Amino acid sequence: MEEYEIERWYNYYHEKFRIPKEYLRRDYEGELSGINPMDAPLEIPDKIEVFFKYSLGQQSRFFRELRESKRIFGSKCIRCGKVYCPPRANCHLCYEPTEWVPLEGTGTIKACTVQYYTTSAFIRKLPFICAYVQLDGTDSLMMTNMEVEDVSRVRVGTKVKAVFREERTGSITDFYFRPV
Amino acid sequence: MRKVAIVGMGTTKFKARWINKTYYELAYDAAKLAMEDAGIGRKEIDCAVYGIYNDFFQRQYQPDAFVHDYIGLGLKPMVRVNAGGATGGAALRIGYSEVASGLYDICLVLGVEKCNDCYNYEMGITTPEVLRAILYTADMTYDNPAGRTAASGFALAVIAHMEKYGNPTEEQMAKVSVKNHFNATKNPVAQSPQIITVEDVLKSRKIVEPFKFYDNCLYTEGSSAVILASERVARQITDKPVWISGLGASVDYVMPGNRPNIYTFESSRIAARKAYDMAGVKNPIKELDLAELHDAFTGTEIMAYEDCFFCEEGDGGHLIDEGTVMPDGELPVNLSGGLIGCGHAVGATGIMQTYEIALHLRGEAGERQQKNARRGLVQSIGGTLCTWTVCLVLEREDR
Repeated sequence: MEEYEIERWYNYYHEKFRIPKEYLRRDYEGELSGINPMDAPLEIPDKIEVFFKYSLGQQSRFFRELRESKRIFGSKCIRCGKVYCPPRANCHLCYEPTEWVPLEGTGTIKACTVQYYTTSAFIRKLPFICAYVQLDGTDSLMMTNMEVEDVSRVRVGTKVKAVFREERTGSITDFYFRPV
Repeated sequence: MRKVAIVGMGTTKFKARWINKTYYELAYDAAKLAMEDAGIGRKEIDCAVYGIYNDFFQRQYQPDAFVHDYIGLGLKPMVRVNAGGATGGAALRIGYSEVASGLYDICLVLGVEKCNDCYNYEMGITTPEVLRAILYTADMTYDNPAGRTAASGFALAVIAHMEKYGNPTEEQMAKVSVKNHFNATKNPVAQSPQIITVEDVLKSRKIVEPFKFYDNCLYTEGSSAVILASERVARQITDKPVWISGLGASVDYVMPGNRPNIYTFESSRIAARKAYDMAGVKNPIKELDLAELHDAFTGTEIMAYEDCFFCEEGDGGHLIDEGTVMPDGELPVNLSGGLIGCGHAVGATGIMQTYEIALHLRGEAGERQQKNARRGLVQSIGGTLCTWTVCLVLEREDR
C-alpha cells in the first residue's frame, strides 16, 4: 500500500473500534517484517454486534417491580409451594403455574468465592465476590457478584441485604447485595 | 444395538495459537489424519458429527456447515453438537448412535475450536475476551450480568466440597497440576509440557479462590477426529479396532440453584454408572487400566475421582496423595496431560481424550504407553458447574 493508504487503513479501524493507531502500526509492520510477507497470516480487527429489544416474557413483572418500585418478588408454585428466585412462571417439578410473592430482600450466602481474574467486561471490578445467595423465603439460589472492601469478610452463612441502585434499567443489576 | 468401533483417528497439535490456519483448515488436518489412519477416503464416510462449542470463537454461526463443505463431505448428512466443555464427548455419543442404530456404517466425529481469534485490543491479550465470549453461554438474564467465569462456577463447587469433606486441599490440587504438566512432557501434541513443583503451583497468581494460575487449563486451538464404524465394516478396515463398550450421559440443571447440592456433580455420577453398567465394569479402580478425566481445573479432577467411583465420595484427595492416579499408579489419570497439560480446545477436547485412550489400547502411545492397557475411561464434562457429562468405556480387541 502507499503511505496514505496505510494511514487510511489505520484511521478506518481506529475510528471503527477505537483501537490505538500504534497497535495497528505495530501489527502492520510486524506482518510485513518476515521473510515472505505476502504469505504471512493476516489478522483483521472485527467485532460482532447485534441490537436487541428483548422480551422478558412472563418474568416481566419481576423486572418491572425492580425498576419501578425497588421490590424483589419470588414466584411460588400453587401446588408444591416451592418459591423461586430467580422467578419462573411455572414449576418445573409440578408443571403448574406459580404466583408472585413479595420478598424482604434479605438472604444468606450459600456458596462464595473470590475472583481475581475475569472477562474483559468485568476486569475493572476485580477482586470481587462471586456467590450464590438464597433469598429469605425462597427455595432456590441466585448468582450474584459483590464488590466489597474486604473480600475476606464474606463467607458461607454471611447475611446479606439487597440495595437498589439510583439508576435502574430493568435488569438483575438494578440491585446488589451488601453484608448486613 | 450394533457394536461400534473406533477404526481411525487423528489430532492436530494442541497449541495456544494456530495463526496460520482457520478453524475449518484445522478441521481438514484432523479429518485427513483420521482418514489416513483408517485407510479410507472421504467417499467412504457415510455421515459426520461435529463438536464445536462457541460460535463467537469461530466468528461464525453454524460453523459446522463450513467445516462439512471444506472437508469435502457435501451431500452427506451431518449434525453439530454443542455441550459446553463436554462438546467432544457429546459429539462421540451422537456418532455412536448413528452407527449403533444401524442408520450408517461409517461416521466421522470431529471436534474443532479456535478461541484465540478473540482479542482485547485495550489489554493487548486474548484471554479476557475469550472469557467474555464464554460468558454468553451463561444464562443471559440472571448469570451473565454477574461477571462470573467457568472457573468461578467450578470454584464454588470445589469450595463446597472442601467445606463438606475437608478436601481437596490446595496441596492436593497442586499435585494434580504437577502430574498433568509432567505427563504432557511425554505427549508430542501437548500445549503445556512443564516440569514444575507443588511450590510453583501454590505460588502462582490467584485466579479465583482456591485456584491459582497452574490449577487452570489453558485455552487451546486444535482439532481432533475419530472415525466410528459398525462391527462388520470395522473388521474389513482394521485389525486393531477399539470398541466403545460403555457409554453414559446425563445433563443436570444448568441453574445450580435448582440442584439439591453443589458439592458433588450428579450428572457425572449418573453418566459414569451408566457407562460402567453397559460395559460390565463392577470395580472401576481394578477393572480400568487408565482414564482421561476432564481436568479443566485441578479440583475438578479430584472430584471426578469420586464421581467416576474410583473411591468413596469425599475421599478424592487421597488418590493423588497415595499416588494411585500417577503414571506408575494403579489407575493412571490423564497420561495425555489432560486439559491442564495437553490443552482444552473445547469442541476437540473429548475427542482428544478418546484419541489418547485409543492410542494406549492400540499400544501406540510411545514413551507414555501404559503397559497392557486393555480398558480405559473417558470423562467429558461441561457447562455451569458440570451441567453435561458424557462417559465412554473403551476396550481393545482381545479382551
